[in-house]
Amino acid sequence: MTAIEENWIFAENDLDEINPVTFQLITKMNQISHDPVVVILIEKNAANLEKVLSAYGPDKIITIKDDALATGDDLEITDALANLIEKKGTPNTLIFPATVAGRSIAPRLQARLQTGLTADCLDLHFEGNLLIQTKPSYGDNIMCEITIPECRPQMVTARPNVFSSEKKINPNLEIETVSNIQWKKDDQLQIKSRVLLAQKAKDIKQAKHVVAIGRGSKTAKDIEGAVSLAKKLNASLGVTRPLTDLDTFTIADQIGQSGQTIAPDLLINLGISGAVQYTSGISNAKIVVSINTDKNAQIFKHSDYFFVGNAQEFAKSLEAIL
Amino acid sequence: MKIVVGIKQVPETTNVKINEKTKNIDRRGLGGVINSYDLHALQAALAIRNQVGGEVITLSMGPDDFAVSLQETLALGADKAVLLSDRAFAGADTLATAYVLSEAIKKVGQVDLVLVGQQSVDADTGQVGPIIAEMLKVPQVTYADKIDAFKDHLVIDRKLENMEQTITAKLPILLTATDKANRPKYTNVVEIAKSFDKPIITWHAGDLDLDEKRVGQAGSPTIVRSISEPQKVAKKNHRLSNDPATAARELVDILKQKNILTEDK
Amino acid sequence: MDQNKTSKEILLRMVKSFTENEVAPFDMEIDHTRSYVNDLLNKIKETDLLSTMLPKEYGGAGFDGSTTAEMINEIARGNASLAVTLEGHFKSIDQIVKFGNQALKDEYLPQAKSRIIAFSMTEPSGGSNPLGINSHAKHVGDKWIINGDKIMITNGGLAEIYCVLVKTAPEELSFFVVDKDMEGFEFGKQENFLGLTGVPVGEIVMNNIEVDESHLLGKVGMGKEIGDSAHNDARVLMGAVLTGIMEHELDIVTDYATHRKAIDTPIIQMQGIQRKIADIAIAKETTKLLYQKAAWLKDNRQDYEEEAAMAKAYGSRSAVKSGDDALQILGGYGYSLDYPVEHLIRDARAMELAEGTVEKMRTEIALIEAKNRA
Repeated sequence: MTAIEENWIFAENDLDEINPVTFQLITKMNQISHDPVVVILIEKNAANLEKVLSAYGPDKIITIKDDALATGDDLEITDALANLIEKKGTPNTLIFPATVAGRSIAPRLQARLQTGLTADCLDLHFEGNLLIQTKPSYGDNIMCEITIPECRPQMVTARPNVFSSEKKINPNLEIETVSNIQWKKDDQLQIKSRVLLAQKAKDIKQAKHVVAIGRGSKTAKDIEGAVSLAKKLNASLGVTRPLTDLDTFTIADQIGQSGQTIAPDLLINLGISGAVQYTSGISNAKIVVSINTDKNAQIFKHSDYFFVGNAQEFAKSLEAIL
Repeated sequence: MKIVVGIKQVPETTNVKINEKTKNIDRRGLGGVINSYDLHALQAALAIRNQVGGEVITLSMGPDDFAVSLQETLALGADKAVLLSDRAFAGADTLATAYVLSEAIKKVGQVDLVLVGQQSVDADTGQVGPIIAEMLKVPQVTYADKIDAFKDHLVIDRKLENMEQTITAKLPILLTATDKANRPKYTNVVEIAKSFDKPIITWHAGDLDLDEKRVGQAGSPTIVRSISEPQKVAKKNHRLSNDPATAARELVDILKQKNILTEDK
Repeated sequence: MDQNKTSKEILLRMVKSFTENEVAPFDMEIDHTRSYVNDLLNKIKETDLLSTMLPKEYGGAGFDGSTTAEMINEIARGNASLAVTLEGHFKSIDQIVKFGNQALKDEYLPQAKSRIIAFSMTEPSGGSNPLGINSHAKHVGDKWIINGDKIMITNGGLAEIYCVLVKTAPEELSFFVVDKDMEGFEFGKQENFLGLTGVPVGEIVMNNIEVDESHLLGKVGMGKEIGDSAHNDARVLMGAVLTGIMEHELDIVTDYATHRKAIDTPIIQMQGIQRKIADIAIAKETTKLLYQKAAWLKDNRQDYEEEAAMAKAYGSRSAVKSGDDALQILGGYGYSLDYPVEHLIRDARAMELAEGTVEKMRTEIALIEAKNRA
């Protein structure tokens, strides 16, 4: 197999919609790669997802238009990608999103190509042609720097929402449709897929978005406002200890020591002062936004973004534009 | 149904630190346990066996002290266990590990179903299962949340980020199980002693048909250059504008850029 | 493979995970509701934890004394009450194994898998002075007729089988085994104790209970010997419970002191706090060594009475004192009924009384020291 000086990204196509992690990977590779950034897209004949991908400025998009393959299983997609590489040559790197699909297809393809694969990368950069891969292990308690010096492609899956995506116009963008990709049909699996409906607010420990209210938002009106904001954000509602005195909340809703430890992508604190009993439960939250009337509130030290002022007013404004 | 379940022994906590002298992970005083996802895989295998009959064989590659975990699987109800232990296997990454495991599964022979956990809690890769499937040339269903067994096929529910699937699968197949697949039972205290009546077989490199270039460190394309503890990123403490409407708009823009909120749906 | 070592490791892995998932999260609720929530009693039966030290020939797991004590230690770290309920059961099984005739063993030991056995000595008229009791058994033909009232029984009301101390003559103490399903058996009043509130402590009333000769535990007149033996076995396990309580205290204070800041420094950096935490750790480790030595001596058929008394006497005071220090470190949170520290103090306090007071422990230790030198 001939080696080609290109860096490939596998576009995740979920039932005719590109998963936004693909855009993030394009932006990241555009930033770090000297070689052309190529997106591999599998889609139905009638689809035109190249258009959405173009907006993020890759150098090239290779599209395999194939109705059956667009809903293919891991084995079939592995087969098709291996054949594509056989035709086109072996790229320097091949990046998959660390989604369920990416984490399932990439290792199969790795085994087929007998190369290395690093899972769930949080950072990537090049030293010459060598891709330096930063991968967490032990539940993100340890970071490893991993390389694949001898084998090509250097394969990784990269975690969603770690890199940000930026739209970019690439005047030299090339789009190539390939039609003669062979793959072996797998008769063993019959797959029925359904779009996942927005999940309803659940257990705060697992929730991706949490709206939390504290002593400073204790009135019925405050709570009503928070509930309505949470609904709009598809968030779960959490409380600090004093609010568990109300009939509406129990220890299952309480965040912090003697309550629950949470790890949402987004936490919005309304009227919470930030006592250690509370903040010890939120240290794994990714983005923390806090609203408090006291400009010296402790909670601001634990926040990425804060607003000094009335929590109810802010919640209302936020809800209005969501 | 003949079922093989892959078992990995991992440290009892993932809350580990790096030893400043050795620059390696400090495992002092840390006991081992069976990787929690593998317990879900084992429980699924036992339930399938109890429903449609057959045998459950647990399989682990590692040093001799991994035998404790295999003994534990016997106490939990597995019928027999195989330990793959050899100095030649040391230093293996996921590719070399899966190679030895897949060769062992071939040696077991006539296997209908391979079950592993969705990932290990120490390395966190989730790669070994799919690589084994590829090497055995069988299809796979990863991240199985629910598994129903029938005489000659399985029905599996799984979730991806934006969709859910129901899959009817013929055998042979490899599945990886999530922690939603079932509630693993606790080891029954009295069964521990009885489990010693069941066999643990040890296979060394010589017992398998292996290409030595694909084993251990030699067969591992990935190299760990260095390890470190993550830097706690200090919170930004960015103050939003004083006007609530403006502040809310600023926040929404930031959250969209970070993909926390999806673009206009 | 060393079968004993491997078995022990598998048991302790299981107990750790069981405690972490089923016991520890319910610690406060057990204390507040004075009951084993989360269906815990059924769970300890289903997993056969009740059979941990029951000999294999009676369907048990046959673990030795040290392993059993370590298992109790682990559970106590999650909740001391549940550990004491198991301790009471194990101590009773131990006495039937040691002193029971074959018929009694064959009848009751297989049942110990699913029915809790209790051991009862105290009466309104006497606790540490056994001759003060009024319960008695009368030999009629080849049967014994038992009458009396026993109080403050650990697991009283929960247990289904009771080893009871009675007089078989004015100066003669003997033990019998009775079953709650026997005619004339009644449960009495439940105590409302300060600590270990998950453990039911209650009364049984025996009204002309008629039992076979085989229900006599040991021989007539062996009451004191069996009672002492039960105390010794219980004290080893209490050392393990107390170690678990101190580990729980350490879990709480280290977490708190690491996260709680005074100005910008976590309070764990302050010498006054460090001294308290270090003292709790030293007391915990000392108690652990004492109970493990006692258990090791017991497993190796040597005298363990003195070490068992030390584990309990030293461990109980230390756990109370450590709890008090932990409360001080946590300040208002320590003093709050919504945080677990206060109940750990109440729990530990029980063990300065139960199975012989600490004063009685010291008497025994002193007399043994003197005897060894005589």
